[in-house]
Amino acid sequence: MVIAVAAAKHRCWSFEDQQQFEAAAQEFLAEGLAAGERIWFCRAGGPGGMAAWLEQAARAHPGAVEYVPLDTAYPTGGWLDPAAQVARYTAATDAAVTEGYTGLRVVADDTPLVRTPDQLAAFARYETLVDRYIATAPLRAVCGFDRGRVGDRAIAELACLHPHSDPANVHFALRAGPPGGPAAILSGELDPAADELLPAALAHVRPQPTGGSIVFDAAGLRFVDHRALLHLHRYAEQAQAEVVLRTSLGTVDRIVDLVGITRVRTEPVR
Amino acid sequence: MRTGAAAGHTGYFHEAIRYDSDEHLLAVVVPFLLGGVAAGEPAMVAFGARNAALVRDALPAGCPVTFLPGGDVYARPAAAIRSYRKLLAEHVTAGAGQIRIVGELFPEHFGAVWDTWARYESAINHAYDEFPLWSMCAYDERTTPPAVLADVDRTHPRTARPGDRHEPNPAYTPPEEFLLENRPVVTDPIQHGAPAAELLDPSPAQARDAVRAADDGGTPAGQVKELMLAVSEAVSNAHVHGQPPVRMRVWTGDGRMVVTVEDRGPGPKDPFAGMQPVASATSAGLGLWIAHQTCNHVSLHRGPEGFTIRLTAGPLPAGPPLPAGPPPAGPLPDG
Repeated sequence: MVIAVAAAKHRCWSFEDQQQFEAAAQEFLAEGLAAGERIWFCRAGGPGGMAAWLEQAARAHPGAVEYVPLDTAYPTGGWLDPAAQVARYTAATDAAVTEGYTGLRVVADDTPLVRTPDQLAAFARYETLVDRYIATAPLRAVCGFDRGRVGDRAIAELACLHPHSDPANVHFALRAGPPGGPAAILSGELDPAADELLPAALAHVRPQPTGGSIVFDAAGLRFVDHRALLHLHRYAEQAQAEVVLRTSLGTVDRIVDLVGITRVRTEPVR
Repeated sequence: MRTGAAAGHTGYFHEAIRYDSDEHLLAVVVPFLLGGVAAGEPAMVAFGARNAALVRDALPAGCPVTFLPGGDVYARPAAAIRSYRKLLAEHVTAGAGQIRIVGELFPEHFGAVWDTWARYESAINHAYDEFPLWSMCAYDERTTPPAVLADVDRTHPRTARPGDRHEPNPAYTPPEEFLLENRPVVTDPIQHGAPAAELLDPSPAQARDAVRAADDGGTPAGQVKELMLAVSEAVSNAHVHGQPPVRMRVWTGDGRMVVTVEDRGPGPKDPFAGMQPVASATSAGLGLWIAHQTCNHVSLHRGPEGFTIRLTAGPLPAGPPLPAGPPPAGPLPDG
């Protein structure tokens, strides 16, 4: 696994090798300690190979280091409530700041939380909500998934909801927009590989119309094909609205015109 | 209700005019247009400036014949099909029982890009067949190369001649057959150099990255973006419908970019792939059609080794030298 140096605050890591995941987690968490943050490591069944590092870190930074069992951090009772889970992280972040830390930094191996399609859908919805919170809060988080157990398709569905994923097995991201801003943020490249993922991502993020328009901040959109624009058209149709893409990509208008897509239009990037 | 030579015909009545003088051209075109006007049919001329002026002068004053304006849309065969289908549908909706159009191509189409215009002339036998269209495509025998004239005979069911004669072309080959033939492709001069990149089994994303990396800034940026759209579709099609391995190459130079995508398969089964709008927006084939709409030149080559699609962005290499006689100008027309 290549460890990205990107500054993204919310990251999706998929791994095959526990030791590599743990090494990356240590590096990421150590940055947090150096920045005065409280750190959490969340995993089911104990800290495993992280135990020694966590103990050592705790001695050096008393009170700042915690192993949190997965079912304590995510008390799902069999079903994750996306909004309640964001509230828990909001409270934990506020507590860290109240206790004098600059913020909270979390690495969680969320593999057991996405075992079934229903669990995946609930967790994906939670990802979009927490992503919006993380965008402005003193919280940084890595969502880790064991590729062998979760599967490439489900990981791709989760990865495209993060501003950064590693390895980059998806080439686009769809995220909820900030309060009072555009409904969603669409970035990266939408090509045949996104054909199945984009409808799923739209279902998870659920961008809502304002005054009949569902506005997407698409300034970071580098490529989009007719498949993706047709998915946006159908999403707009279901919402009885139009999709507005704020983009400088000239090919969007060209495809919209050629294919006769009626519910997608562009606006210049603001 | 059809009139003239097309009376009783259903669908597209497609004719060539092979003329060798202005008089010959006018002897076919003027009665054709006046017959349409007399029958109350829309009658249109899609000629370049010179021949348009010739026809205009030969028509009675105030004659309601429409001279179609030129524009970018006529620069690409698949775009011309799209544009004409829209025009024809509008006339049918307005109640036209027959529509008459006469058009022409120019010597610059008879060189490196003729393969794609030959496909156009063949494909429209099908693409316009749902309309009560009678059209004539004029070719000047003095300036049109023999190989092009041979294709004209093979793609037009009939030839119109002075004296209201309409003769079947014995060499006419139905588009279902003509379009699946292995047509010769003229190598772009920049393909004689080493490619800027060569990729084996690239993903569409890697193929686009290769185009971005090879872009030397000499090709207009908007056209490079449209090329990426076409390359992405070509690579995706090669993986989904073709046979591995897929090889992509890109050349840059002389203000343009050329990309080839090869696979070991036989190529699209649909002879009209890329030329004809697909039935619905979700149909396979829409990507290839968009590629034909956005690239300045798309060549399809079926060979013993497999199928190659070549996509070109930027100004095309010059065709054969223009004739010393009538200077071509104005719109590129219907065939």
